[in-house]
Amino acid sequence: MRERQSQTRRRFLAAAGVASTTALAGCSGILGSGGSDSDDRPTLADFRGSGEIVSDRPVPGGTSIEDLPDLEGELSIYLGGGEGGRYTTLIDLLDQYYDGFTASTQTQPSSQLANVIVDEYESGTTQADVFWSVDAGSLAYVAENGATLELSSNARSMVGDDRFVTDQWAGVAGRSRAVPYNTNQFSADEIPTSVDEIATADRFTESIGWAPTYGAFHGFVTAMRQLRGDDGTREWLNNMLEQNPARYGSEYAAVSQGIANGEVGLGLTNHYYPILVFANSPDAPLDLAFTENDAGAFVNTAGASVLDGASDADLADLFVRHLLSAEAQEFLATRGFAFPMIDGVEPVGPLPTIEELSPPELDLQSLSDVQPTIELLEDVGILS
Amino acid sequence: MAASERLARLRDAVGGDDEPGLSLAVLAGAVAAFVSLPLVGLLVRASNYGFGHLFGLLTQTGSLDVLANSLVLVFWVTLGCVLIGVPLAVLTVQTDLPGRRFWTVVAALPLVVPSYIGAFTFASAFGPQGDLADALAPLGVERIPAIYGLHGTALVLILFTYPYVFLTTRAALLSFDGTLVEAARTLNHSRWEAFKRVTVPQILPGVTAGALLAALYALSDFGTPSIMRYEVFTQQIYIAQRSLGVPEGYPALLSLQLLAVVAVVLALESRIGEGDASYVSRGSRQPGRITLGVWKWPAMAFCAAVAVLSLGVPLGVLAWWFEQAGAAVFDFEPVVAWNSLKVAVAAALVASLLALPVAGYAARSSSLFSTLTDRLTYVGYAIPGVVVGLALLYLSTEFTQSLYKTVPLLVFAYVVRFLPQAVGTVRSSVLQVDPKLTEAARTLGRSPFGAFRKVTLPLIAPGVAAGAALVFLTTMKELPATLMLSPIGFETLVSYIWLVRGAGSYGAAAIPALVLVGVSALSMVVILAQERYNG
Repeated sequence: MRERQSQTRRRFLAAAGVASTTALAGCSGILGSGGSDSDDRPTLADFRGSGEIVSDRPVPGGTSIEDLPDLEGELSIYLGGGEGGRYTTLIDLLDQYYDGFTASTQTQPSSQLANVIVDEYESGTTQADVFWSVDAGSLAYVAENGATLELSSNARSMVGDDRFVTDQWAGVAGRSRAVPYNTNQFSADEIPTSVDEIATADRFTESIGWAPTYGAFHGFVTAMRQLRGDDGTREWLNNMLEQNPARYGSEYAAVSQGIANGEVGLGLTNHYYPILVFANSPDAPLDLAFTENDAGAFVNTAGASVLDGASDADLADLFVRHLLSAEAQEFLATRGFAFPMIDGVEPVGPLPTIEELSPPELDLQSLSDVQPTIELLEDVGILS
Repeated sequence: MAASERLARLRDAVGGDDEPGLSLAVLAGAVAAFVSLPLVGLLVRASNYGFGHLFGLLTQTGSLDVLANSLVLVFWVTLGCVLIGVPLAVLTVQTDLPGRRFWTVVAALPLVVPSYIGAFTFASAFGPQGDLADALAPLGVERIPAIYGLHGTALVLILFTYPYVFLTTRAALLSFDGTLVEAARTLNHSRWEAFKRVTVPQILPGVTAGALLAALYALSDFGTPSIMRYEVFTQQIYIAQRSLGVPEGYPALLSLQLLAVVAVVLALESRIGEGDASYVSRGSRQPGRITLGVWKWPAMAFCAAVAVLSLGVPLGVLAWWFEQAGAAVFDFEPVVAWNSLKVAVAAALVASLLALPVAGYAARSSSLFSTLTDRLTYVGYAIPGVVVGLALLYLSTEFTQSLYKTVPLLVFAYVVRFLPQAVGTVRSSVLQVDPKLTEAARTLGRSPFGAFRKVTLPLIAPGVAAGAALVFLTTMKELPATLMLSPIGFETLVSYIWLVRGAGSYGAAAIPALVLVGVSALSMVVILAQERYNG
């Protein structure tokens, strides 16, 4: 891992260059001017764009869109989160791929949508066919309240790892917690493999950045509560407060940027936020480390479920299978820097695979238990 | 109060007060009942939870904190608006401030910046790691005071609502009789004494009216406290309505508390209004202008500082985003603007149509029922958009599931909120039509409807158009009900701005935000034109 880390920076730079060029390629593709095909269907290149790192990638394995039944009809999708528009770009590509398919979306924070979906289910006014959310906790909440339909075995069997799929929802894009750090302030050796050391070691006093109001952070603390109980989590939070961490509003625009600027030395974020910072400032002195076997390295997943009351449940199920297609997984890996959920697609170059990480054992269903997390954060004095 | 007095005077001037027909009364009553539906729905919903349950929630939850936060905010915003609006009005009307005409326009202009866009730009400029912090960092400034919380929320609301006080105070200053001040001066009062004993009592109703508007705005605004992370009713209702683990009935409880505060504010205002029995002299003579002397420099600095904060910052930040964003600035799809346009046109048409019977009845009848219907249509104006949205969500999920999150329901929400604007302008133009003209048409054999169509309608058409334009323009900008009630896939300029703001892609918000500022500027033009039309 250590050797690997020291190389990651350079390779992230390459990935970052790809990220911006693929974004442009995607745009022109959607406008219909980029495709050379006579029928204007997005090709694999449109899904993953072009660039140095992508050209090294093999043709993705798994089930290609071509091997799936055609999407046909109208689909309504609730997008919980949506990764700054990436998810809608993927939906647009599918929209463009099939003449007879149109999808409409509404984007809101995932926990809010989960509640809206349950309310709608209970009053018989279900609006959407699919719930596609950035975190497993909100998917679990909706499923626990009976608002989802069982996924077909065709859809479920596409997910390579049992941890990321249930009867009711399927993971489509993995995201790990990570420790981005400023390479001018710390060397790779100095970054510990435990979140406890971050909270206690003197060398991190006054140099940690975090975003305690951010949803992804709440997921992280919820995971920690499941792993070590409320008292253990409270102790960790209190230790962190002793380190006097700098408080930011978001893990992307703020914490990761703050580390790149040198305002703080390291932080606790989702693994793809620091990579996004590279996209904007390729010279940033920023690298990425992972802890081992604790909440600091837990792997969550974005996922999708079919809603009870959907106007076309079969189409919705087929859409979930499309999110798990080789092309869509390639898209999520190369443009969203996510861990792919199917065998045959690898994460982008610099990232380890999930197997190479050492995430803790955790039932993702338990991540729906966010309210006690908020109360704990309020109690400790981190949230007012 | 002043408005109804003016109406009474106009009515006397117009002549006889024949009671209009029963059909008009029935129509007006039906409209009033229709737009009161959300309020009824909310009360029904709240009563379902039971009084005991709601009362228990009062203490269990943080709702009393929210009440305190809201009241503190309203206090500071109202005070701040008076402290900025009144001096600006006095300076531009009663002194020899250089460039008075220019400063008058500049001081009124912040009203064209929707407050959530103001908040959005302020958070971007002055937030931690904001543009200002970046700009000051090379100069060795490490931390700037935090913009979030009470002071940020109050600052933004003051900067974008003080023009209410400015405009009403200005109107009062312009309409009062300057000879009174001169009389006071001849009785050996100093300028300050004359100002205190003569001017202040004369303009107090105007200041109060503006302060009321500012207070109601501060209570009902959703976007600013949300962006500035200050927990007030509107922001809490929106969150509570859709968060995990919120006790049942909590959003309804918050809504009721908010409405109670609105009712208290309105009651206070009407008491102050009634208590005012000052002599209203409609003299057109202006008092002698106060010579500022060397004070003109601080005075101009004051005007300039307000202008820089309330116009320079938001427009500067928007322009900066526009420039920075490059191609991303054109990210949004035209269908988004088209959607905004469609619902705004629909709301304007429906509101004008519904306003006709209410305004006609109110203008021609002085009965208790007429007053009641007139007042009821104003209910939506006093109810914050977030409460209208919540009530319509309840109503539609309980009783009319087929309307839930549909465009018609969204348009209905806009009509409830903005019908009073249409009623107001239509009523004042109806009052200017001599009823004898309609009578003449009737004696010449026209049916009541025919007489209305042939005689009244052409005469009030400009007023109807102005009312429709106002509804159109305010609908374009409406935020909370739009967020709560929009159908899936139905994105408007406002919901798009809200979405990209949440995602942090400010550049993509630049064009829609500039469009909305432009739209608001147009609504100012309509309001000003209408005032001229009213004489």
